[in-house]
Amino acid sequence: MSNVARQEDPASVERIEHDEFDPVGTLALIAFYFAVLVLLWLFTYFVEFLGNVPTPVVVA
Amino acid sequence: MPNGATFADAYPTQARHIRAAFWASFLSLGVGAFFGLIQALHRTDILRVIESQTYYTVLTAHGVFLVISFTIFFLVGVFQWAVTDSLERPPVDMRFTWGWYGLMSLGASLTAFAILAGFTDSIDVRANVLFTFYAPLQAHPLFYVGLVVFVVGTWLAGADWFRSWLAWKGDNPGERIPLPTFMVLTTMIMWYISSIGVAVAILAFILPWSLELTGSLNPTLTRTLFWYFGHPVVYFWLLPAYLLWYILLPKLAGGRLFSDPLARVVFILFVLLSTPVGIHHQYLDPGISEGFKFIAMTNTMFLLLPSLLTAFTIIASMEHGARQRGGEGYFNWLTALPWRDPAFTGMALAGMVFAFGGFTGIVNAGMNINYLVHNTLWVPGHIHTQVGTAAALTFMAGAYWLVPQLTGNRLVGRGLALVQVVLWFVGIVFMTNSMYRGGLVGIPRRTAEPQYEGFEYEVAAGSVGELNAQLAIGGTILFVSAMLFLALMVLTAFNGGTEPIDDGSIPPALSGPEDSPAVLDNLKLWVAIAAVLVVIAYSFPLASIVSRGGLFGPDIGPIPVAIDAASTVARTALEAVSAVVR
Repeated sequence: MSNVARQEDPASVERIEHDEFDPVGTLALIAFYFAVLVLLWLFTYFVEFLGNVPTPVVVA
Repeated sequence: MPNGATFADAYPTQARHIRAAFWASFLSLGVGAFFGLIQALHRTDILRVIESQTYYTVLTAHGVFLVISFTIFFLVGVFQWAVTDSLERPPVDMRFTWGWYGLMSLGASLTAFAILAGFTDSIDVRANVLFTFYAPLQAHPLFYVGLVVFVVGTWLAGADWFRSWLAWKGDNPGERIPLPTFMVLTTMIMWYISSIGVAVAILAFILPWSLELTGSLNPTLTRTLFWYFGHPVVYFWLLPAYLLWYILLPKLAGGRLFSDPLARVVFILFVLLSTPVGIHHQYLDPGISEGFKFIAMTNTMFLLLPSLLTAFTIIASMEHGARQRGGEGYFNWLTALPWRDPAFTGMALAGMVFAFGGFTGIVNAGMNINYLVHNTLWVPGHIHTQVGTAAALTFMAGAYWLVPQLTGNRLVGRGLALVQVVLWFVGIVFMTNSMYRGGLVGIPRRTAEPQYEGFEYEVAAGSVGELNAQLAIGGTILFVSAMLFLALMVLTAFNGGTEPIDDGSIPPALSGPEDSPAVLDNLKLWVAIAAVLVVIAYSFPLASIVSRGGLFGPDIGPIPVAIDAASTVARTALEAVSAVVR
């Protein structure tokens, strides 16, 4: 953006550049999210399919 | 922009223009939120201050004021800020800039009048057609004229930003487009491609029909054209939120954007994939073959890609901030984030709700399970987590940072602002939890009185009473939160003689544009590919719809006329019966 000058966060304790940054926390959080997604899918399957009887076959 | 100067100092005229857009947006938020409260209390039968017939006027107003006026006025303000700030230049001609703002305001006022006139019988104007205005529901022509004028205003806004960029390009040959401007331009390309659909639907079919120039139309055709626009419009609401997440959130977290190239890829993917998916809103529509619906579903699943890329980039940027602030561990770094900052917390909570809403979107997008939730309360649940929180809460949180920059005033009530964003989160959790679960047991949407005689919904855990209570409590909390937000904005606007806490600078990305191939900035190429995809996805379905039903349809009359006739017949019959009984 307009201001390339770094505005340091007052709470910043260190400056981490691109090559020093290893986003393992991001990996952990996204892995957690995928686990939640899988559980939600299992829940959906339970609610919508296992929780209901099959659609009745109506013979005219 | 000189160091330490706010946007209002550097560009006073532009700041005034953006403030005007924000006020139009906030006014719409206030009115729309009020109608939301009425609905939440009405359909749960807790407080009914209106007749159930009037519910549809309220519902139309809630939809149009919030998803058209609130969101789009806010986003044009954000886009104007992003373009001006990142190109470091004002618009080429400020009169043109005020011109499109004027058109948008005029259009919004006409449509608002057409809707609100529905509350009184003394004016013969109505537009109880909901925000999707499906024909043969018919509104007063003013409703459609207003929408057209509003959309033309947004087109000119886009032209204004392209003009600024071209002027900048002339002065800076060979330079990469600054990321915020890149995001604005790509979003506008998507908007141009997609809003053609609704423009054709209104100008060629619905408006002439409402003016009685044509006697009939083909509802499947106008619905399909609406959804050609109706899915990309959700990205029109969402991409400004993405812009704030990519540009502002890393800085608020105390870090830097993880990757500028990934951000560009995400926005290009939205240009390519937003439009050829609209038919996934029509899985239950007759007259469109399953094959076309299947193609739309496949395209839709590809759309998850840019959102997952975004999840990665944004979380990594936040983590960078947390690590710079001394955060450690796999999860403990989360505690090092600035949770006391309402702008940060609001956006982070919005992102969290979006991640959950994304899952429900996958449910909507899947053809088989869509059948189970289609037209149920699940769908309003989805839209309230997405545009109602991912976009709306991000906008409110963004306003806590942007409005001080645009006014030069310090935000009033920082602590209260934190309470406000948390209240919104709590309200939305209550309300959408009720909506999703209600949808799963088949409670319908768009209904004033969802209870039926002699029929009980089988709620697996809990009860309908409990779901209703959650919906009403959630809706009320959301209303209180919206009012609190508006109060803080008004107080901040009048908080003269102060200065914002933040100096308004944005740190550069960890991995900058120099790390990405220049082809990403070749906008013409992406427009061409997007156009080809749209032609592939839509030419056959549209041809098939027209060849079956005709361009102007099999003699479809407008619905309000039929309702009037039916109610007259019903009234006459009732009077006759009561006369006989007496």
